[in-house]
Amino acid sequence: MLLLLALLQQIDSTVPAERGQRLEVSSYAGDISVRSWNRNAVRVTADQEGRTRVEIDRSPGSITIRTVGHRGAPRMVDLVITVPTWMPLDISGVNTDVSVVGARGAVSVETVQGDVDVDGGEGLVSLRSVQGSVALRGAKGRLEVHSVNEDVSVGNSSGEVTAETVNGDITLRAVDASSVMSSSVNGELTYDGTIRNGGRYAFSTHNGDITITVPEGSNAAVSVSTFNGEFASEFPVTLTETRKGKRFNFTLGTGRAQMTLESFQGTIRLVRPGSSRDARDRDHDRDRDDDG
Amino acid sequence: MSDRWTERLSEYLDGELPETDRAALEAHLDTCAACSETLVGLRRLVLRARSLEDRPPARDLWSGIADRIGAVPRRRRLTFSVPQLLAAGVALAVLSGGSAWMLHPDATGVAAVRLDSAPSGVVPVVAGGSTSETARSYDAAVHDLERVLAEGRGLLDTATVRVLEQNLALIDGAIAQARRAVAADSANVYLNTHLAETMRRKIHLLRQAAALVSAVS
Repeated sequence: MLLLLALLQQIDSTVPAERGQRLEVSSYAGDISVRSWNRNAVRVTADQEGRTRVEIDRSPGSITIRTVGHRGAPRMVDLVITVPTWMPLDISGVNTDVSVVGARGAVSVETVQGDVDVDGGEGLVSLRSVQGSVALRGAKGRLEVHSVNEDVSVGNSSGEVTAETVNGDITLRAVDASSVMSSSVNGELTYDGTIRNGGRYAFSTHNGDITITVPEGSNAAVSVSTFNGEFASEFPVTLTETRKGKRFNFTLGTGRAQMTLESFQGTIRLVRPGSSRDARDRDHDRDRDDDG
Repeated sequence: MSDRWTERLSEYLDGELPETDRAALEAHLDTCAACSETLVGLRRLVLRARSLEDRPPARDLWSGIADRIGAVPRRRRLTFSVPQLLAAGVALAVLSGGSAWMLHPDATGVAAVRLDSAPSGVVPVVAGGSTSETARSYDAAVHDLERVLAEGRGLLDTATVRVLEQNLALIDGAIAQARRAVAADSANVYLNTHLAETMRRKIHLLRQAAALVSAVS
């Protein structure tokens, strides 16, 4: 234990930052925690172990922070980085959990084994993980959230939303979106947000339910398709066209938004505001009863 | 399945129809379910294409595969010269960062289309090409990417390899189910599109896996 402590060296460095610079972080393993402040400077704190060092480089276009192994891959290093709110962020890792709070610029995060949790971001916000969950809140702009094997969520955000995962649920709540593309192969899709006139909203899953909360006064031309699933609505809809199989269209209000809802073998459900969780809970209770 | 207005849906989408034709087409859409459905499908295609990534994997790996499948660079706007293909039950798949293409498991009587670049950045959908050729291109792209993953699996963390393979198997299962559904209802636009989209997902995930291998090799 004493030896281990002796090998650990804490770093605490602050470098000036100028508008036009972006922060680039690359770490192999450990947590990356990015916070913001009102100073035009970047502060980095970390416990670095003897065989792994933290390098900080500054150029006119960027401030770069990376962990470097003496021989082989770097060891685990937990980085705590404080940045100006305006600073664009470009963060990548492998075995790395990433959290960001308070960003007001573009944010790009990519990790393989780790969760991504971002509060903030404006402009292009692109978050990706292979094995971890991805959660985004308080962002606006073009929002892209991707996972492979875990859930994806966006909350209290606005703009154009693209959300994808293969094996996980996608939850979009309190989202003011002009366009949404939400798709999973094996997961449930939930949307509780605005349906804007002229907006485009596309939800597609192979094996999962889709639950859409439809705000009062929404205007949408809705296209529903399923192969082996069901459709349920908490309010009456008048079908304008029924195609072969379980495919049909209907219009809400003036139909000025376009909405497509596709689940190969899940239930597609339209609910009133405030009732989506209730509906899902009822289904889960029913499933439990059936199992019992 | 097709009428004189079907050919003009892409102009309508692009806002290029003269006002009188636009009004007439909108009146037609009120009464023609086939054209309305085709229009919905085309809008989805445009929406999907606009979201395409243009970022290739870190290494030069993608270029050979892209050549094989006819991938082309940036695209943001589409013009469709033969949109009745959707109504004919042609499926759509879009390869991220590369070409968009359509295919059908049964080549008989079903056209295949691919997107080719145009100097202006307008990307027309061109009818023609062989469905079997498209399928072969897809299979070859999958094969190449699977080979990259197989050769590089030793470089990746075992848990990562396991997750990738589990999710590829999940997608394969979905593809198999969608294929059976299409076989039972080959003219179903949704099923064809869903099949193609699921196949696109497989390519996309394999590309992610290949990029991971590239990053650590």
